[in-house]
Amino acid sequence: MNTQEKEQVISDTYDVVVIGAGNGGLAAATQLALTGKKIILFEQHNLPGGFASSFVRGRFEFETSLHEFASIGPPSNKGRVRKLFEDRFGLDVEFIAVPEAYRLILTDPTEKLDVTMPFGVENFIEAIEKLVPGSRDSVTKLFDIAKEIRDSFGYFNATKGNPDQGVLMKEYPNFLKTAAYSTKEVEDALNMPEDACKILNAYWSYLGLPIDRVNFTIFASMVLVYMEYGAYILKKRSHEYTTAFDVKIRELGGNIEYNTRVEKILVENGKVVGVETSRGDKIKTNHVICNASPTLTYNKLIYPKSEVPEIAYKEVNARIHGLTGFCVYLGLDATAEELGLKEYSYFIMKNMNTEEIYDSWSKLQSPGGQASVVLNVPNPECSPPGTCIIYITTLFRPEVWKEIKPEQYVGIKNKIAEELIIQFEQATGAPIREHIEEIEVATPVTYARFTRTYNGIIYGYEPESWDSIVPRLMMMGQDKYIKGLEFAGGFGRRAHGYGSTISDGYTSALLTLQELFKEGEGK
Amino acid sequence: MSKKNDERFIITIKSNTKDLFAFTKLVPQRKKRIENASVEPITSDPINDIARKLHPERQYLKIHEIKEETKSTRTFKLVPDPDSMTKELAYFRPGQYLSLKVKVNGVEITRPYSLASSPKDALHGLYELTIRREEEGFLTHYIWDHWKVGTKVKSSGPEGFFYYEPLRDLKNIVGIAGGSGITPFRSIAKAIIEGFIDAKLTLLYGSSEEDDIIYYKEFKELERNYPDKFKVVYILSCDEITLEGCEHGFITANIIEKYCDVKNSSFFICGPQVMYDFVEKEMEKFKLPHKRIRREAFGEIKDVINLPEFPKDLAEKSFKVKVHVGNLMKEIPALSTESILIAMERANLAPPSKCRSGECGFCRSLLISGNIYVSPFSDWRRAADKKFNYFHPCASYPITNLEIKVPRHL
Repeated sequence: MNTQEKEQVISDTYDVVVIGAGNGGLAAATQLALTGKKIILFEQHNLPGGFASSFVRGRFEFETSLHEFASIGPPSNKGRVRKLFEDRFGLDVEFIAVPEAYRLILTDPTEKLDVTMPFGVENFIEAIEKLVPGSRDSVTKLFDIAKEIRDSFGYFNATKGNPDQGVLMKEYPNFLKTAAYSTKEVEDALNMPEDACKILNAYWSYLGLPIDRVNFTIFASMVLVYMEYGAYILKKRSHEYTTAFDVKIRELGGNIEYNTRVEKILVENGKVVGVETSRGDKIKTNHVICNASPTLTYNKLIYPKSEVPEIAYKEVNARIHGLTGFCVYLGLDATAEELGLKEYSYFIMKNMNTEEIYDSWSKLQSPGGQASVVLNVPNPECSPPGTCIIYITTLFRPEVWKEIKPEQYVGIKNKIAEELIIQFEQATGAPIREHIEEIEVATPVTYARFTRTYNGIIYGYEPESWDSIVPRLMMMGQDKYIKGLEFAGGFGRRAHGYGSTISDGYTSALLTLQELFKEGEGK
Repeated sequence: MSKKNDERFIITIKSNTKDLFAFTKLVPQRKKRIENASVEPITSDPINDIARKLHPERQYLKIHEIKEETKSTRTFKLVPDPDSMTKELAYFRPGQYLSLKVKVNGVEITRPYSLASSPKDALHGLYELTIRREEEGFLTHYIWDHWKVGTKVKSSGPEGFFYYEPLRDLKNIVGIAGGSGITPFRSIAKAIIEGFIDAKLTLLYGSSEEDDIIYYKEFKELERNYPDKFKVVYILSCDEITLEGCEHGFITANIIEKYCDVKNSSFFICGPQVMYDFVEKEMEKFKLPHKRIRREAFGEIKDVINLPEFPKDLAEKSFKVKVHVGNLMKEIPALSTESILIAMERANLAPPSKCRSGECGFCRSLLISGNIYVSPFSDWRRAADKKFNYFHPCASYPITNLEIKVPRHL
């Protein structure tokens, strides 16, 4: 290190250090900066956003991972995240509404289905009744329960995870009755026709665990929020709002250091006392909000290791680590119109046996399902005239990729990419292969490379009923093992997804502010 | 349970009592599962291990051998530095480059050099870089004077997107190379012959003098041994030509048509800026779609003054740039005709950079105040970066005094 590089090193005291500029970290840092706290945000990559980013190849700027932002809503009916972005944080961003909920195409000869579903609870119920006569009652009931769940979350937040059972019983009885069950158990109890289940369950891959394992509460509230508020994307890709966060944090006096990895969270007697970075920064702080997973934090970041309590290792080991992803980014030299692609969002699955599809992701083979989007449908200006951007996404169990040798890597990823392209072409009839001008393929290795997420995982812990959002919220505070350490992000309380992680980061900031306030009072 | 409550139930999964009981068991059940789990720390992270192998942030190399290729080019054979953390070399896609980090007179700078060896060589712990000594390149002069067998060299992982992509490209590859732009094609040729790429390569290789031709003998032999996979046409711009079977002049549309199946080929171009200007104009006649022509980023812009809309009245003017990096704030001078990256390197600020062509975005920095000129041919900024004043210093030039915030090097 030369003299000037040494002078670049930061050694200072901060009220809060935020580790990682993913959705959770950005939201947390912004809220803390808003309240005038002295903060620094460290990010190991040279960009904000984590998975929420963009990259340029030739004439195209690709969205890295966002399919659909939930909880935005139109300006006339702002969702939770739009309220945060616009009213609380004042971010300068432009959202674009996605036209339809999704087009679901099932490709097994015995399962043939091709339906396009609208947003809006009423519209959705009408559409599904038309497609599957006799499904209205059960689907309506499901949405009624979902609304009760949504309302109960407000109460959970208000009581900070300590709800009064009497109130729950009185106000949210159907939430209570379904909270411990999987989506399949609830749909069965509602006697929902099989074809209606198939259509309604299309969003399952966004949570990434089969319908018989995914907790109903979280699944139903996700479907409801899409139906009530629609889905949105960013005019200039996700990099637009993540950079807007960056600009806002600095404007509020916060600091951000890119290319800087936090290597140690220093803990003494069960309390955070500082952090050390890859650049040799030694920061004193009593509060860390960590956008890295508990898995990575307890196993790698806490220093010394003797400060990690047994219960922390147990918690991490008890939970089921979620899926990693695989994405083919295509810049095509034909327009969506020329290709005959009218919808934005496509779920293309062999069938709706979600266990079978999940199993297909547990092997290094042709994936049984994909979720794909045509960016130009809602955002015609996202690429030059005469072109369009499509990205095809699928999921994998991370273990599947662990034996791959460097020299096999490109061959394997290209083979899977090719199969996904063929699946898309066969399902939609759009000849995309011959129009490829730019192509990039992201694998679990790519996600690990850019975010260092444990095993390349893009989803957090799997929300089975025992570890879904309700027990997580009710154990808030009890699962805090190191004083001054909060988590935010996809491995957090609200599970993964853009809207969830942003809300989670905001909550973590509020909890930290509360601690800071108490400490201030103590003095 | 009151009747009133019962009426509010619109669903029963097992029974009212069981459903409610299941709810009350959620937290105890979670606690129990955690309590019963293993206390073993997780020590392995295989996917990150693969990521680090494929994309190491840094590779520590050592010069194993130096080969004189021509009067002005040398091939440096590099192996892992045994005294370092680097135990094996990252695999790559032929056509990719390494960004070397070299300290010249106490100032750390980076330079991208295409890998000239094959991916298979990398598996055996060998990279080859062929470097031309440039008249006005202070780095190459330094390399000629200082790089010996045993010299240690710091490098990035393999970078760049100038490679054959079977899902996009046709099996007839036409490589158009000028001068030292031939180096990535040596890697591609070797990979084809070694069976790593299933395609055929026709090279149109322009040089100004006969003795500037790099890899002449090696390519002759490859052509002889693998006539269906590899062919080279030499195009010489000098007046006197003694080599047989060469073309005279420049790489024109006529020459391209003479040797290539234009409509059924994917073109890859790598060379100096003047060659791009010439060849791309010639190729316009073919009206090929964008996807059939790939070009390697050509490195630093040589004559920014002649680019469209560069404010010529400011040529050679010097500005002050206030640079924030980490905890440091320093005011440095910067010429309008030199990239902001170079100004920072000269001031020994060790800014991050890799491609030096505007493409990779690794030097991405925040423009706090002032105005910059960005070449329209080297502008790969993200749309939101333009909106929020982030820029790529390697392809940006000061046209007023500036204040900028630059990330520290990785």
